[in-house]
Amino acid sequence: MILYAFIFIPIITGTLIYLIPWKGIVKVAFGLQMGLMALSIYNFVYIRLNGPIEVVIGNFAKIAGISLRCDTLSATLLMLTAFIFLMCFLFGLMDKFMNNLFVFFFLTLQALTMVIFLSGDLFNIYVVTEVSTIIVAVLIMFKKDSRSLYDGMLYLITNIAAMTFFLLGLGFMYKIFGSLDISIIGAKMFDIENARVLAMPFAFLMTGIGLKCAFLPLFSWLPKAHATPSAPSIVSVILSGLYVKCGIYLFIRVREMFLPALEMDDIFLVIGILTGIIGFILAMSQKDIKMILAYHTISQLGIVLIGITAGGEYAYYGGVLHLFNHAVFKSLLFLSAGIIISKYGTRDITKIRGVFRRMPYVSGMTIAAMLGITGAPLFNGSISKYFIQSGVKGGIIEYAMILINLGTIISFIKFSQMFFGKGLAERIHIDFGKKAAVTTMGLMCLLMGMGGTLVISGIINYRVSIDILEYIKKALVYFVSLGAGYLTYNKYLKKTKFIKEGYELELSINGIAISMMAFFIFIAAAAYVIL
Amino acid sequence: MTEINFINAQNTAIVIFFIGVYGLCARRNIIKAIISLGIMGGGAILFFLSVNRGPDSMPPIFNGDSFVMADPLPQALVITAIVIGVSVTAVALIMFIAMYHKYGTTNWLKAMRHRIEREDE
Repeated sequence: MILYAFIFIPIITGTLIYLIPWKGIVKVAFGLQMGLMALSIYNFVYIRLNGPIEVVIGNFAKIAGISLRCDTLSATLLMLTAFIFLMCFLFGLMDKFMNNLFVFFFLTLQALTMVIFLSGDLFNIYVVTEVSTIIVAVLIMFKKDSRSLYDGMLYLITNIAAMTFFLLGLGFMYKIFGSLDISIIGAKMFDIENARVLAMPFAFLMTGIGLKCAFLPLFSWLPKAHATPSAPSIVSVILSGLYVKCGIYLFIRVREMFLPALEMDDIFLVIGILTGIIGFILAMSQKDIKMILAYHTISQLGIVLIGITAGGEYAYYGGVLHLFNHAVFKSLLFLSAGIIISKYGTRDITKIRGVFRRMPYVSGMTIAAMLGITGAPLFNGSISKYFIQSGVKGGIIEYAMILINLGTIISFIKFSQMFFGKGLAERIHIDFGKKAAVTTMGLMCLLMGMGGTLVISGIINYRVSIDILEYIKKALVYFVSLGAGYLTYNKYLKKTKFIKEGYELELSINGIAISMMAFFIFIAAAAYVIL
Repeated sequence: MTEINFINAQNTAIVIFFIGVYGLCARRNIIKAIISLGIMGGGAILFFLSVNRGPDSMPPIFNGDSFVMADPLPQALVITAIVIGVSVTAVALIMFIAMYHKYGTTNWLKAMRHRIEREDE
């Protein structure tokens, strides 16, 4: 029953809030978020103690019905969803745009995200993803600003096209397996005799999922959607911190499902490395604060992908942990970027100066998040990167990780320029809700870093330990790359045209469709060769 | 009579799907992009309808068991897919109308240029 609560409580409350014309009711939504947070923690503890639970809606047979399944990964992601939405409501409590319509869309999106994390049925996932795509497009163009209209439209068309690929893949899956339930398909996967029939459905499903998680050729919609200027910053938080994780979650599930018959980890590993590299290169050249953060999302998703596909339990759990860590620090970065943009009235990083003097508190928390994303010792990013790196020790992948980290550092050195310099001296007042949200997130960055092993053993029941010597070595590597990054930025990169003028990879819809097609052909051909 | 094996519902569905993808790849008109999405969805729907359905199978609406029934489940699923397709098209068209009022063009590239110009203001 508790699983239904996660879905129905937000939707029903959202509808009621939309219908009741009373402004104070938005506060009710905040109270509701507290309740959901408590419920998700209870659910997590219950599942950790009693094992996964599964319900089939309407008590049909599982092969034909829609099942909701919750294991520890889903339960943790539910907690994450509740946490990020709680922080968003806390942040936006005093803001004017939080009207009843906005809250309705926001709560519906929360319910849909939770269904994606809970559902055990692929067709259900398709339906929910489609609906949430529409809601996200509406949220992107909520202010009907001329730029966000294009961004929202592009988001809608590309993502719907990707989900149609997914749908056709589901057709193939049903033809082969006679069911669309993930666990049933996973069990039947061992009985496949001629594995080549799996190549087409795999390619179709992966093209859809690949666009959702912004893999290498398919990422060009993401920065536009996540960083569209007029969208409220909490929309960017939800998209970049949370919603993009739905794609990665689907990737984890589908990969697991196909694993007995079809393993393509090596190819996705290469895609992950390239995604990580191209993400930070493009991030370096941006001038728009939100754009920088959006491109870093791509880069960090590449790291998660490396962790998941590199092989070995250490790297895998490192990747999963990085998923949560990324959600925390990227949300914090977007929240503080939202504060800075609204107070300074510009998004151009070259024009914002002296933030530290004007709002020291928010700046401090932002720096915590930056230390997290660059993997500084004791902060959360370092733990997950440590696990991924010890999983892939000694190979070229470890150097690729160090390279991606170096690029992230250089890009954030550019980002940090806005803290210094002379600006107006007077302090800027920031309301309590915003401060509270930012503080909680900043503390989370530090706590998840201090207790990273505890988090992993709590989440997945897998004992891991950190070798202190290794960790110190990693810390040294971090400081060396920090110095190297600082020198490279100031000596060489600062004056180059690439950094100064900015460069944006603008693919039109045709370009995106062609790259989608290319990705599809590539995956299908690779699967044929492997099988 | 020689049977033509390769012209069946399934292959037709895949061809229709990729015609839709071609439309997305090659046309710059926003309305045509929306139509292409509809065509892709149509291909996927036809594929679902043809799953587990032989030439002799009957629609699954009778109670008898003397004949072969088509698999009812994909047909039930496809109704959902059709409804979603309709609503997605409607939403996309409404968004297009709003966009047309702002940009005054049906061309993706011109819309993109407008977007960049506005940014500079």
